Amino acid sequence: MKNMSNKLKNFFDATSFCVIGASTNPLKPGGVVAENFAKKFPGKLYLVNPRGGEHELAGKKYPLYKSILDIEDTIDVAIIIVPAKYAPKALEECGKKSITKVIITTGGFSEIGVEGQKIQEEMLEIMNKYRINVIGPNCLGLYAPKLGYDTMFLPESKLKRPKSGKISIFTQSGAFGAAFIDQLYRLGSGNWVSKFISYGNASDINEAHCIDYLGSDEETKVILVYLEDFKNGRKFIEKTREISLKKPIMGIKANRTETGAKAGASHTAALSSNNAVVDDLLAEAGFIRVTTWGDLEDCVLAFGTQPLPAGDRVAIVTDGGGAGVMASDMVSDCNLKLAKLSEETQKKLDESFPVFYSTENPIDITGSATAEDYRIALEAVYNDPSVDSVVNLCLPCIPNLNIEEYIQITKEISKRKEKPFLTALVGGNEAIWGTEKLLEEDVPCFDSPGRAVRAVGLLTQYAKFLERHNANESPLNQQ
Amino acid sequence: MSEVINIFENVKKSGRKALLEHEAKEILKKLGLVLPPSCFVKSEEESVKAFHDFEGNVAMKLMSPHVLHKTEEGAVVIGIDTEEEVRGAYRDYMQRFANKEIEGVLVEKMVKKGIELIIGSQIDATFGPVILIGPGGVFVEVLRDVVFRMCPCTKEQALSAIEEIKTQNLLNGFRGMVKVDREKLAEQMVILSKLAWEYRDYIAEMDINPLIANDQDIFTVDARIILK
Repeated sequence: MKNMSNKLKNFFDATSFCVIGASTNPLKPGGVVAENFAKKFPGKLYLVNPRGGEHELAGKKYPLYKSILDIEDTIDVAIIIVPAKYAPKALEECGKKSITKVIITTGGFSEIGVEGQKIQEEMLEIMNKYRINVIGPNCLGLYAPKLGYDTMFLPESKLKRPKSGKISIFTQSGAFGAAFIDQLYRLGSGNWVSKFISYGNASDINEAHCIDYLGSDEETKVILVYLEDFKNGRKFIEKTREISLKKPIMGIKANRTETGAKAGASHTAALSSNNAVVDDLLAEAGFIRVTTWGDLEDCVLAFGTQPLPAGDRVAIVTDGGGAGVMASDMVSDCNLKLAKLSEETQKKLDESFPVFYSTENPIDITGSATAEDYRIALEAVYNDPSVDSVVNLCLPCIPNLNIEEYIQITKEISKRKEKPFLTALVGGNEAIWGTEKLLEEDVPCFDSPGRAVRAVGLLTQYAKFLERHNANESPLNQQ
Repeated sequence: MSEVINIFENVKKSGRKALLEHEAKEILKKLGLVLPPSCFVKSEEESVKAFHDFEGNVAMKLMSPHVLHKTEEGAVVIGIDTEEEVRGAYRDYMQRFANKEIEGVLVEKMVKKGIELIIGSQIDATFGPVILIGPGGVFVEVLRDVVFRMCPCTKEQALSAIEEIKTQNLLNGFRGMVKVDREKLAEQMVILSKLAWEYRDYIAEMDINPLIANDQDIFTVDARIILK
């Protein structure tokens, strides 16, 4: 595992790239990847197709080499997109051509049973013989929009590509990865992704290499993970422990069913279900473990747009009592506290609002609220040093609220980025319209009070983790 | 620590996987865990002498490779206060377990009541040696309130594990119960995690249960080490 982060770095640093199995059909995987690189990759591109001939992509003619061995130039990275049975030969040729970085996206290996397992073992021998590092097989490979690097073999008409941002993702499941990437495109501005790594069967590059590389990658500010099991669990935990002090790491470790506890001779063995162990070790290492697909989107919005809070004191502003109560419940569920407002803030609120507004936290400015009332309440709590995070709840169906004005106020406060500021717009069409308006500018907005508070909970959980480890400089606040 | 390996090798040579309690305790004592005074005896007279040396109030446990679940098989007598009881227990063991291989009897000073805890280790298929801590004794299976760490663990990791135990009341001196010394408990967890890590080629599972925290110290009252 020496220099393991360089394995992945060298993939991303490629200045020449070869597609083995480049198809002239733009919808076939080999055609999609060839087109991705022809359109976006700034380095040299070579295409291999045993039929030979020529192929025009993005206004440029590319020769189709019958074998990679026919190419005279050196090549940094190759992708193999041929059926599994032809993959060993292609890999062997990469080895002969001294290519040590290869992505194999094709499926049909160990994941399909004995036959595939045999081919994967054959590939392993070739990898060892030529010292080739492999991503895959059975994966989407790599995506890095800023580098023009895109081995995702699904056409852009089907799978939209999010633009460059500060979040890097690695996933064991390619299908999860594809859907999540597609989802990030439509989330807010779509500017989210730094590096995306789908490593599939992990015949070589695994989760420990991914976390290590992304930990050292300066463009990556937030790491998001989807895992089902571990290839190198110890290393992963050790690396996570180190890196989580520098940048937040979060995600799903699926496969939570209670397997693994065995009837051993000791109590310890009987208590050691795999999930119980995984859960504790991940938490100790600072990995923020979430469980649902929706949680991941909340993570992106929270960690992708917000600073970390200085503490766990939350102020809630709402125009609906029920929303306020539910949010307050979630505050305690997430180990947060309702902030005790400073005297000054309390005085300001009491002077500004009619007596039937409830000016103690959670602040309920009722169905009589106007956008201006929201401004007064939100600014007052946002400016209060005894408030660490603000939750802005709005049920826009009330009569006196000008939704456009409210959206404008929310955007303005959100831009200050001095403390977490999370909004939930609850209701029908106006709520949906408002949410879209906010998200367009990456102002996080959720569809329920609980989700907004939970986002605060995730940020606070990480802030507390850093505090416990005396990592006082918040990595998110440095950006 | 070749002494530790010697003990393991001897156990293996005799065809056993489980260390007898006095063997396990010998190792733990060497590593710095706190054990009640005890004496491994091979005769009735020796057990009587040990009883007097400890000024009474002892437990007597049968050490036999064929009796691993001692409590369930009636091979533990606690709270022995008279010489007659010592002799009675000794004779009873010799009679009831006559057809089993008997190594001897462990006469051990009773530990004052306190909070019962468990520290245990095992080899996890994904992470290798891991260690757990939580409420022990009868609570182990009732509460299943344990926290895991990877071996070897640091004192900070051990302290945070103790903090993550859900039944915190039990550790904080609830209703006049003893307040558990977290620093000391964490240090013991670190020692055990190092043992599990350094001898991972030998040790498959380990249970220190109960570990009794009373107003004097934190005592290893029962210990089980099972080899691979």
